[in-house]
Amino acid sequence: MLRLSGITKTYPTPQGPLRVLDSVDLELAAGESLALMGESGSGKSTLLHLAAGLDLPDSGSVELDGQRLSALSEPARASLRRHRLGLVFQQFHLVPSLSVRDNLTLQARLAGRDDRAWTDHLLARLGLDGLDDRYPEQLSGGQQQRLAIGRALAPRPQLLLADEPTGNLDEAVADQVLALLQTLIDESGCALLVVTHSTRVAAPMGRRLRLARGRLLEPGR
Amino acid sequence: MSAVMRTTLATLLSHYRPHPGQLLMLLLGLWVASALWSGVQAINASARESYARAEALFSSDLDHVERRDDAPLTLDDYLALRRAGVPVSPVIEGELELADGESLTLIGIEPLTLPGGTPLARQDADAASLRDWLLPPHRARVAPDSLDLARSDARLPPLEVDSGLPPATLVTDIAVAARLLDKGHRLTRLMIAPNRRVDLPSAFVRTSPAAPASPGQLADSFHLNLTAMGLLALVVGLFIVHAALGLALEQRMGLLRTLRALGVPGRTLVLALGLELLLIGTLGALLGIVSGVILARLLLPDVAATLDALYDATVSGSLTLPWHYWVGGFAITLGGLVTAGASLLWRASRVSVLALGQVQAWRARLQRQLRVQALVGGLLLGVAALLWWQLGSQPGQRELALGFTLVALLLLGTALWLPPLLGGALHLLTHRLPGRAVLSQWAVADLQLQLPRLSLAMMALLLALSANLGVGSMVGGFRLTFLDWLDQRLLADLYVRPPADQAGELHEWLRQRPEVDTLLPTRQAETRLIDERGEASPVTLFGIAPEPILRRHWPLLDTLDGREAAWAALTREAAFVNEQLARRHGLEPGDVLRLKASRGVVTMQIAAVYPDYGNPRGEIVLPVSRLAARFDAPPGTLGVVLAPTQAREQALDRLRGALAQRFTLLGDAAMIDQQALKRTATEVFERTFAITRALNALTLGVAGLALLTTLLAQAETRRAQLAPLWALGVSRGRLVGLQLVQLVGAALGTALLAIPLGLLLAGVLVAVINVAAFGWRLPLHLFPGQMLLTLVLAALVAALAALLPAWRLWRIPPRQLLQEFAAE
Ligand SMILES: Nc1ncnc2c1ncn2[C@@H]1O[C@H](COP(=O)(O)OP(=O)(O)O)[C@@H](O)[C@H]1O
Ligand SMILES: [Mg+2]
Repeated sequence: MLRLSGITKTYPTPQGPLRVLDSVDLELAAGESLALMGESGSGKSTLLHLAAGLDLPDSGSVELDGQRLSALSEPARASLRRHRLGLVFQQFHLVPSLSVRDNLTLQARLAGRDDRAWTDHLLARLGLDGLDDRYPEQLSGGQQQRLAIGRALAPRPQLLLADEPTGNLDEAVADQVLALLQTLIDESGCALLVVTHSTRVAAPMGRRLRLARGRLLEPGR
Repeated sequence: MSAVMRTTLATLLSHYRPHPGQLLMLLLGLWVASALWSGVQAINASARESYARAEALFSSDLDHVERRDDAPLTLDDYLALRRAGVPVSPVIEGELELADGESLTLIGIEPLTLPGGTPLARQDADAASLRDWLLPPHRARVAPDSLDLARSDARLPPLEVDSGLPPATLVTDIAVAARLLDKGHRLTRLMIAPNRRVDLPSAFVRTSPAAPASPGQLADSFHLNLTAMGLLALVVGLFIVHAALGLALEQRMGLLRTLRALGVPGRTLVLALGLELLLIGTLGALLGIVSGVILARLLLPDVAATLDALYDATVSGSLTLPWHYWVGGFAITLGGLVTAGASLLWRASRVSVLALGQVQAWRARLQRQLRVQALVGGLLLGVAALLWWQLGSQPGQRELALGFTLVALLLLGTALWLPPLLGGALHLLTHRLPGRAVLSQWAVADLQLQLPRLSLAMMALLLALSANLGVGSMVGGFRLTFLDWLDQRLLADLYVRPPADQAGELHEWLRQRPEVDTLLPTRQAETRLIDERGEASPVTLFGIAPEPILRRHWPLLDTLDGREAAWAALTREAAFVNEQLARRHGLEPGDVLRLKASRGVVTMQIAAVYPDYGNPRGEIVLPVSRLAARFDAPPGTLGVVLAPTQAREQALDRLRGALAQRFTLLGDAAMIDQQALKRTATEVFERTFAITRALNALTLGVAGLALLTTLLAQAETRRAQLAPLWALGVSRGRLVGLQLVQLVGAALGTALLAIPLGLLLAGVLVAVINVAAFGWRLPLHLFPGQMLLTLVLAALVAALAALLPAWRLWRIPPRQLLQEFAAE
């Protein structure tokens, strides 16, 4: 499903080049779930962005479904993203001028796969039914993050990439959102790569990896 | 449209649902820009259409037949030529005064002999209409625009509409025209088809008339002036558009990044933004063009009066718009929109997906941007200085276009300098303020932060203010000069225009009257001025009587050896030329003129150059006696200077009464007193600049709107910035006051730059543009009152623009401010 091999990424900074990822290899099978842990600033988001084709590595390759991302044009990578991937961010990034329903279906509509029954089902599962006509600013934090998860799942992606999906929520709400994410993933059979620095979030995942000083390690060390 | 494009466009447009103000501001900018621009263009297009009709009529390619001795043509000449087998056709032309002071150009033709293929001849004439034309009560053809005017005169034959005729022109049978114009047996022209080879009797000569100077060419400068004003309004309007687009984009940066992350290709995103621009632009252009046409309807009568007075150009008072006007208006609005939006589209195309949610680092770029602006501004001003110097040293025909380029460079260069200058001033101010003045320090520092967002609106204000001051100074200076000049030129108390056969008698009679001190007879003739290359151009000869009162007052710009010598030379063999003629032909005192006279060519030296404001033509002044002897000029208006008396009004009335009794042919229209003439002249002057002033005021209004919309657009952000101050115990009243002071301060700073710029502008208008456009140069007057007004206007515009946002801030409940504070 997703294969990263020999990934290196360096950012230029005023203090000289900063090597964030150093020969990272990672593989994720269809339907599998993986938690990527690490200190703040260890390069987790960078890795996620490379996996989503939002950025390209300096060296090494990212393959999605056997397609090498660096070999694709920007529009082709964008197309891959809207058809195959779901993205969830720590800051939600909902569109303030769109209603709850329009936000939920945004990516599905972009992908040309708006399915009314599936949307209604998602709305109900996310506990957002009856709120269709509201706007994001009228929702609580937990509701907003649930909406963001729904938006990522609406086009029925094969892989969900979530960057600290509960980082902006308090613990009780975070647990609910997480449980919901887990069930929805199980229901849809979609693979999950979740970035987090919280062991609570990582615990239920099929596999856990830790990123430190640019390298991937097995946890517990 | 693909699903991606459709969804992207809908999502982008959804931004305006919670922000209708931004959409309104965008539409407003487009509307204003295109309304003023297309209004001006509608006026120009309408005028051009009138010129085209006039040209088609008068520059027909028929040849003329003239007498070798240049004597006026008469019916006898016509008959002699026809008897000799020469197929000539007679034409009579003249101005027909209507009862209400209006006049029509009356052309009398002889349809049976008129060669075909000229607009004078009706193309679809059949036997029946020819009979109507030839037999009483005859027929007259008139342009649709002047039908009502012609109907009001009972002397005219039944009217037919002919849309091919220029406005205020009537074509009728030659017999009718001769009677109406009281021409007797005189003919204006004898015409002959150019391809007819005939042997003329020896007393006659055949000429191919040079194309007459078309009214369109003369008035071109006037239209260019209008276009420049329209362009200024367009630019100021586009400033609003640019500000609104920038704001709408900045607020949607996050949205753009989210869309990219969700799989919208960058290309699609830019394309969708472009489509959005196109949609809004089309709407704005439509609104603007419709309003422009309404504006043009309102202004056209004034413009028509001006063109008539300044250039003898007759323009229809009703709008006639060709199809390309509509297309052009659309194109210019959309073109302007693309210009205003291009940099934003470029910015949007470079949005990095990865800066997702990151605040834009525009503050860091600001310093560099200001430096680049100052550099480019300096460059433009340098080019402007070079251009001005060039223009000063080589006057020429292309001066006008170069003059406008110079104005554009000056305006743009200084506008670019405004933000760095304001920034610098604020920087200085922070160091000057005492440490205790905490709030003032905050206000200055905060204004520095606001400056990048305000600067576009301030630039628009700068342009509007300086254009206002520049044009105001030019018009004010012109008014002073013009009124002075009128006083010097209109010396007689009464101007009488006698019929030709009574002129001598009238002159004698007036000389006997005790009320009369001096008589100032005039004569006028048209002839050709021959330059060194032997080319002849039309020129007006004006005869005056060099009486002491004229010698004392007649204004002179340049003489060979002083006034006295110039007048002495005039009474001998010399002549004066007006400024227009001198500039057009590069003449100066001491040069020799070669003029075509009744018998051969005469030469005379130029003794002086005199100012002749408001006259589109080149003119040469001679003593009346010489004009009568050499050029067969008929007697013209007679000026009557009254003897000094206490009861001037009574004396004038007495004289008018006696004149009317003694000379029954003299109607009221043939006697005009000085006051009435001055009134008319001043009226013409005021109308000439009415449009200029109207457009100027509108431009200033637009700049105010730009400021208002900018303030409204950033009101939310401002509230969030002000909330902490409120939380720290600064009252809302105080906050509102601070805001006002900040804005008025910035506007006053802008006005301080607008004053020197406006004066420079006035200098260019007076020394370059007017000279090129009208042929005369005015002295530059400075009006401290106008400069003060610039400051007041700036403060007023800023205060007015700040009023609504301030009022809203004032009205906001504390609870909401608290939320803003929490949100920070
Ligand atoms: N665009 C960038 N330019 C320079 N440095 C960056 C950029 N993005 C991230 N970094 C740096 O790379 C490191 C890793 O960042 P990130 O992947 O966001 O870490 P994490 O998500 O684990 O907190 C950090 O030190 C961060 O400052
Ligand atoms: Mg991160």
